[in-house]
Amino acid sequence: MTAATDITVTLSVNGTTVTRTAGGHLSLLRWLRDIADVTDPKYGCGEGVCGACTVLVDGEPASACIVLAAQVDGAAITTAAGLCEADGSLGPLQQRFHEQHAAQCGFCTPGMLLCAHAMLRDADGALTRDEIREQLHGNLCRCTGYTDIVDAIEDAQSRGITR
Amino acid sequence: MFVKPFRYERADSLADAAAMLRAADGGAKVLAGGQSLLPMLNLGLLDFDALIDVGHVGGRAHGIAREDGYLTIGALTTHRELERDAEVVADQPLVSAAVGWVGSSRIRARGTIGGSLAHSDPAAELPLAMVVTGATYDLTDGTTTRTVKATDFHESYFTTALAEDELIERVSVPVLGPGWGWGFAEVSRRRGDFAIVAAAALVRVMDGHIVESRVGLAGVGDRPMRLGAIEIAVEGAGVVDVGERVGPLEGLDTVTDVSATAEHRRHLARVLAARALTDATKRAAA
Repeated sequence: MTAATDITVTLSVNGTTVTRTAGGHLSLLRWLRDIADVTDPKYGCGEGVCGACTVLVDGEPASACIVLAAQVDGAAITTAAGLCEADGSLGPLQQRFHEQHAAQCGFCTPGMLLCAHAMLRDADGALTRDEIREQLHGNLCRCTGYTDIVDAIEDAQSRGITR
Repeated sequence: MFVKPFRYERADSLADAAAMLRAADGGAKVLAGGQSLLPMLNLGLLDFDALIDVGHVGGRAHGIAREDGYLTIGALTTHRELERDAEVVADQPLVSAAVGWVGSSRIRARGTIGGSLAHSDPAAELPLAMVVTGATYDLTDGTTTRTVKATDFHESYFTTALAEDELIERVSVPVLGPGWGWGFAEVSRRRGDFAIVAAAALVRVMDGHIVESRVGLAGVGDRPMRLGAIEIAVEGAGVVDVGERVGPLEGLDTVTDVSATAEHRRHLARVLAARALTDATKRAAA
């Protein structure tokens, strides 16, 4: 019988330094939600397919359920809350999602926002609707049928919003 | 997602990781990007006393370089790096095309070539690309290094030529020579899934006719495989008739599982091999 060994991990979460000592076997998602009380990344499939747990690790989208917190010790993590304004109000991209009704139950929304942010930030020229859909293929939504989400990203793009 | 606890150990070098593997006596597994390993642990399909993280190892396990007709690729190179590296795109585009089919952009950002090859899923794109390009892998146990051909390395389902205390250090992929073209075709249930069947092809064309070819399939059996009979059958063909030369592949020993029947796999194998060969011939002729 093996016991997990505790590991001290320090992450910058949305600009705040967080240090916790916890089991080295914990995924980044469990570390954030259960140890650090950062609950905006959601647990969906547990196998890196649905995108609900998406966070940015040093700026790149990752599925937090299939990354160990210990693997990324020292990294800068951005969650969907990191896209808010400094006063906690909705950021520009979040505002577009809100106005286009791009969230229904809301479970996929944190991952959608971060993938939308990364695609708009990294886009080489204007993305077509098909390209937006293609880049969202790793984020599942079971409510809206994606139309409003793609609308919100197109709307953000047309206004030059990337985050 | 409440995985059975395991020890997390971080290796400082591949030699260090090999020593840890020897000490664990079969109870430990190497963790690179973890994009296949951690889902399997989350699903309870695997169970280890310890994971040995090689993600912080430096040196020869990193970087892409061109040497004497080969691209040498460090085992910890991510799919994202492979996909975007200008040298890989120019010198062995089959590899950058194949890696574009791997998972989602999140998986490609963290998954590594060494991890994917050592995992050896028979439906994975990278082992197929390695078998078709004729790649070799440098394996190390910390003291000695040996070189193994991709065709010999992938033995069966998730089973490789790696000894208990060996790790992949580097991969050498022959560059695409003049006159050659490439093709890659795949069918999966959802975008980003492992292939039901994938086909990869390289052909060399002279005066509009195929003089040399390499074609292989993933997802049809226990490991990626070359189709020697098809390579002979397409000799002399051109863009218009190369697809017709791919026969029904009746001898192909395909499997039935939840994704597809053996018969459907055999059908896909023929269609996708023809498509990959046609695309390769077009590119070679262009």
